[in-house]
Amino acid sequence: MFSIYKKELQSFFYTPFAYTVAALFMFVFTYVFNNSIADISSSTYQFSFTNVFYSVIFYFIFLIPIMTMRTFSDERKFGTEVLLMTSPVNIFKIVIAKFLANVTVFVFMLVCSLLFPIVTAANGEVIISQLVCAYIGFFCWGIMCIAIGMLISSFTENSIIAAILGEVAMLVVMFIDDFSRTDFISQYPKLQSVLYAFSAQPKFAYFSQGLIRLSDIIFFISAVITFLAWTIISIEKRRWNRG
Amino acid sequence: MVTIENLTKYYGRNRAVNNLSFNINDNEILGFLGPNGAGKSTTMNMIAGYLPMTNGNVVINGTDIAKDPVKAKRNIGYLPEIPPVYPDMKVDEYLFFCAGLKSVPANQKKKEVARVMELLKISDVQKRLIKNLSKGYKQRVGFAQALIGNPKFLILDEPTVGLDPNQVIEVRQIISDLRKEHSVIFSSHILSEISAVCDRVVIINKGDIKAIDTIDNLEKSMKDNLNLNAKICGDREKIVSAIKSVNGVVSIKEIEEDKNNSYNVKIELNGDSDTIRNNVMSALIANNLQILEIFTEKPNLEDVFIKLVNQPTKRTSLSDLVDEICSDSDSSDNTNENETEGK
Repeated sequence: MFSIYKKELQSFFYTPFAYTVAALFMFVFTYVFNNSIADISSSTYQFSFTNVFYSVIFYFIFLIPIMTMRTFSDERKFGTEVLLMTSPVNIFKIVIAKFLANVTVFVFMLVCSLLFPIVTAANGEVIISQLVCAYIGFFCWGIMCIAIGMLISSFTENSIIAAILGEVAMLVVMFIDDFSRTDFISQYPKLQSVLYAFSAQPKFAYFSQGLIRLSDIIFFISAVITFLAWTIISIEKRRWNRG
Repeated sequence: MVTIENLTKYYGRNRAVNNLSFNINDNEILGFLGPNGAGKSTTMNMIAGYLPMTNGNVVINGTDIAKDPVKAKRNIGYLPEIPPVYPDMKVDEYLFFCAGLKSVPANQKKKEVARVMELLKISDVQKRLIKNLSKGYKQRVGFAQALIGNPKFLILDEPTVGLDPNQVIEVRQIISDLRKEHSVIFSSHILSEISAVCDRVVIINKGDIKAIDTIDNLEKSMKDNLNLNAKICGDREKIVSAIKSVNGVVSIKEIEEDKNNSYNVKIELNGDSDTIRNNVMSALIANNLQILEIFTEKPNLEDVFIKLVNQPTKRTSLSDLVDEICSDSDSSDNTNENETEGK
């Protein structure tokens, strides 16, 4: 399992891939950060990293499918899936190893983004507790999106299609909350509460306000487990259907 | 020892492999022959545990691959049709990765990787990216991958495809040497390769087993009932009567006039071809006919293969098959078609 993890990391870090994605992430972060600082002059606005994260996450969700698109689709395209499947490693371990590798790249991006709080702390004041909560929320959100991206990557052998479908899925995850609050859905309160229960955005909002709620953490973790289990099933199913 | 029992695979309603049963003994090289689309790769994928079977068992050293895949796969090295290499990795990185996958202990990895690189002569490209290698090198890297960890049982799906003639000979030599420690099943379209390397062959067509036997036996089974070709100078009537008088001659298939009053004759035989040939020669000489040329069509695996694959119906035993082949006198047209198909 460790060797798959290591190989995945190599494929990220020995190629320009991880650096390009991280650079793009930093570019987005810088853009949002600068905009927020520029807005400080207006008296009603209060600069906080919470707001920055809130804006960043909107751009960020488009990066995740780019990161995860190759996870399984490339294995199929190059025929290397056969190697993994005929090695004495079970599918569960393969999926976990690939998931951890993706998470590692994500953590690498988060570490890069620490630059901004550090710069801010040098010239002003940062509320550490709130910042930590925002990071935890961001991390939870990210790993859920990675699990979804991996699932979609296991559906197809074309990584571009995996990326596009991934973006669609990210938009659904992002806007399910807004959708549940439309007038149309409001007519059916039960449906609304179900949709609301599945929406990740309000849960992220609690984190960014500095609240760590056990229920929210369980939500994200169960989402990760669900999507990873679904990925395993999807790979198994394809083996049975092949041909 | 690998036991394959009633292996069957359906793709939807299409039956790709039907009820295959055979064994691969220890230290044996088993050739796996069949035309394109016969189900060779599907069978190999099932034996390697990549594809699940619709029905049947594959037992590798006492472990059923469907019941305990991880344990069974420890004994398998598999080189699929397309070498499973990552284009963005260097050769040595890739082999280290494979060593890790096959749980080679960390302190032996380096030695093991060096060993397989040495064996397949890829040490000189170890620092190159796999995507920049030629097809032959990629194939050898894929082969090296299968050998890592020294698995008892090797499954090689067309290991010599894409190699140049020198490399083909080298790889064949490697496969021959593997016999000492491993059992090997290997498929190929190149019949001379199979007959050079394998102890036994399994011939399949459209998912059915057509024959399982040693090459010698298969060829021997073709040795009786052969055709005898001769070039004889003399009177046509005399030639025909002289030949027909010999015991064991079934018929004269063809008689064509050549230059200078000579005839090319094709004679169908029934029985031991060597004895009949000698008798035919004595008969011709006794009749004062000059023999310019005489030879029996040499039996080889290719003939066995082509005839078995052309079989219209399923036969239960090898003798049935051979009987049918010999009675099928009009097969020469189909033969050519299948030859091109087979390659």
